[in-house]
Amino acid sequence: MEKKEEVLRIENLHISFKTTAGTVKAVRGVNLTVNRGETVAIVGESGSGKSVSAKAVMGILAKNGVIDQGRVTLSYYRSPQEKVTREILEMKKEEIRRHVNGKRIAMVFQDPMTSLNPLIPVGRQIMEGMIWHYNTPKEEAQKKALELMELVGITDAEKRMKNYPHQLSGGMRQRIVIAIALACDPDLLICDEPTTALDVTIQSRILELIQKIQKERDLSVIYITHDLGVVAKVADRVNVMYAGKIVETGTVNDVFYDPRHPYTWGLLSAMPDLGTNDERLYTIPGSPPNLLHEVTGDAFAPRNKYALKIDSRLEPPMFRISDTHQAATWLLHPDAPHVELPPELRDRIERMKKEAGYHESE
Amino acid sequence: MSQNKNSETAPLLEVKGLRQHFAVSRKFTVKAVEDVSFYINPGETYGLVGESGSGKTTIGRSIIRLYDPTSGEIHFDGNDISGRMDKKTKDDLRVNMQMIFQDPMACLNPRQKVADIIAQGLDIHHRYQSQKERTEMVAEILHKVGLSAEHANRYPHQFSGGQRQRVGIARALVMNPKLIIADECISALDMSIQAQVVNLMKDIQDETGLAYLFIAHDLSMVKYISDRIGVLHLGHLLETGTTEEIFSHPVHPYTRSLISAIPNPNPVLEKSRVALQYDYKTSGLDYDAGTLHLIGGTHYVRGTDADLERWV
Ligand SMILES: Nc1ncnc2c1ncn2[C@@H]1O[C@H](COP(=O)(O)OP(=O)(O)O)[C@@H](O)[C@H]1O
Ligand SMILES: Nc1ncnc2c1ncn2[C@@H]1O[C@H](COP(=O)(O)OP(=O)(O)O)[C@@H](O)[C@H]1O
Ligand SMILES: [Mg+2]
Ligand SMILES: [Mg+2]
Repeated sequence: MEKKEEVLRIENLHISFKTTAGTVKAVRGVNLTVNRGETVAIVGESGSGKSVSAKAVMGILAKNGVIDQGRVTLSYYRSPQEKVTREILEMKKEEIRRHVNGKRIAMVFQDPMTSLNPLIPVGRQIMEGMIWHYNTPKEEAQKKALELMELVGITDAEKRMKNYPHQLSGGMRQRIVIAIALACDPDLLICDEPTTALDVTIQSRILELIQKIQKERDLSVIYITHDLGVVAKVADRVNVMYAGKIVETGTVNDVFYDPRHPYTWGLLSAMPDLGTNDERLYTIPGSPPNLLHEVTGDAFAPRNKYALKIDSRLEPPMFRISDTHQAATWLLHPDAPHVELPPELRDRIERMKKEAGYHESE
Repeated sequence: MSQNKNSETAPLLEVKGLRQHFAVSRKFTVKAVEDVSFYINPGETYGLVGESGSGKTTIGRSIIRLYDPTSGEIHFDGNDISGRMDKKTKDDLRVNMQMIFQDPMACLNPRQKVADIIAQGLDIHHRYQSQKERTEMVAEILHKVGLSAEHANRYPHQFSGGQRQRVGIARALVMNPKLIIADECISALDMSIQAQVVNLMKDIQDETGLAYLFIAHDLSMVKYISDRIGVLHLGHLLETGTTEEIFSHPVHPYTRSLISAIPNPNPVLEKSRVALQYDYKTSGLDYDAGTLHLIGGTHYVRGTDADLERWV
């Protein structure tokens, strides 16, 4: 196995929001690492804390947000010889904007219009980062912007440079946002539901585009989504998030072919299965907890038909399954009763493995 | 397209050669819907699928007569509703056909309590004798969509996206309609919540026998809810048939690209798979030159004779 080089490490991150109704504990101890050149997915229902975690890394939390605890470490090379390691949470907002945001880490949001300025031609917007972060001469920035637009698959790039955002389709705008994100050769790209607002046919093209660029540039990507189909397509490693915590982490094969957390079982079972003629879709009963209230025990317990007594009292720690695979459920405790995967999911996974010619050892 | 031969009953809704054009300026007309025909039987779900801008919403709005169709015929529940309607036909239409929208927040008045939002149709059409009866009807419908009576006094912003969509469904359902047009009503929701809403809509259908025109921009959920499917692109209905016909033998390259775009949650396969691409401009096809061809059963595809030769 090739040596892994860490680009980002998030340790024990806790974030809360002060609201008129009280304190919302949105992120409750997140741990995550991203290595160079790999794609790490964060998947979970809306409200689980995916975007908030990403925004903390970018130094763009909302004003009422507080980082209660944690470390975020970014490593990059200032020159091929000089490796730099920075503690992002100890940096000032202004410093993050100057040295990290857009330069080392770039972000693509769900709605491209939130990232684009409606009053500036798109070509100019791609050039801005290069000029601001690297003092790139205008001519050179222009040339690079043109190349980037071609890279993200915009035809007639020269003409399109002069267009304003509203003159482009949704898919085209998101391509521009990706071009802006790539303009300063970041080490890490965070994509927060980048295709959720797009048509499916355009969605697959954008995903394939990000994959292609990533290979070419050895870029690391954090991919945030609620869609496991997207995860299967893009991710090397997967983090399943629930109520502000990561409850299962593993390689994409660990999580899809050998899921261990009942919440992951629920998410996988709720995926539409085109291989069967089932009349009904599986749904996870209930809804996520309101994080205004203190969580005691396992936050997923009220929705979990496999919950144990201990779940209502004590929050489970991460249990190790293999070098790559961990899950936070008491079912993995050596003294826990043996619980089988739900039979429909077991059959589905067996079928998937057979179709893919996948064997455990891989 | 002719009527469904398998079905004994007359269709609840029949759309024939619908055209809906918008004159944007003196020189320029948007042809949002071009020669679209389909039917929906009582108690059936018809899924209408296509990318954004393909004309789905326009078709929905034409059918419920928010627009005057440019040409074509619309028959609903035994009445011709394409032209001028008399008062009775209009009233029947406003009761028996209801619509749910994609963004429930945009159509729910933020200053109105959920009870008043739901009872709006009841108020307009004088559907109750007393306030007590009104309250009971609202409570009953809330219960049916998986909310509780105490939700009646809350405001929309106090609800999650999935709950708001339930309010939207309740508002349509309270009129006891024969057809609900659901325009991308789950597109903005999480996968797991989408599944909940789809199951709810199916349960309600089993119970009340209403029909749905289920509009969506992707096929994955449509497969679960639809009996038959129509694929729309650039205002043209390109392919229609039973869910089985569309998924087992998709013929039109656009339909095939839509099916191919559904991600397969199988990482080893999905990693190496490249989705089929489709671009009308470079496809060499001319939708206007095509006509509907019967492939078999209830399965129709739009194309020229030469197109069909290549595809089947
Ligand atoms: N500015 C804010 N004020 C109060 N609560 C917030 C704020 N931003 C996010 N939250 C809450 O934090 C939780 C996590 O949100 P988010 O990270 O956006 O979820 P998602 O996983 O859908 O991206 C949610 O419960 C959300 O309501
Ligand atoms: N009132 C209108 N005036 C002019 N053009 C319109 C109007 N409504 C829709 N259109 C155009 O008609 C086409 C179809 O739109 P729509 O029915 O909203 O598509 P969909 O719902 O499939 O996304 C689009 O090109 C849209 O811009
Ligand atoms: Mg989010
Ligand atoms: Mg629409």
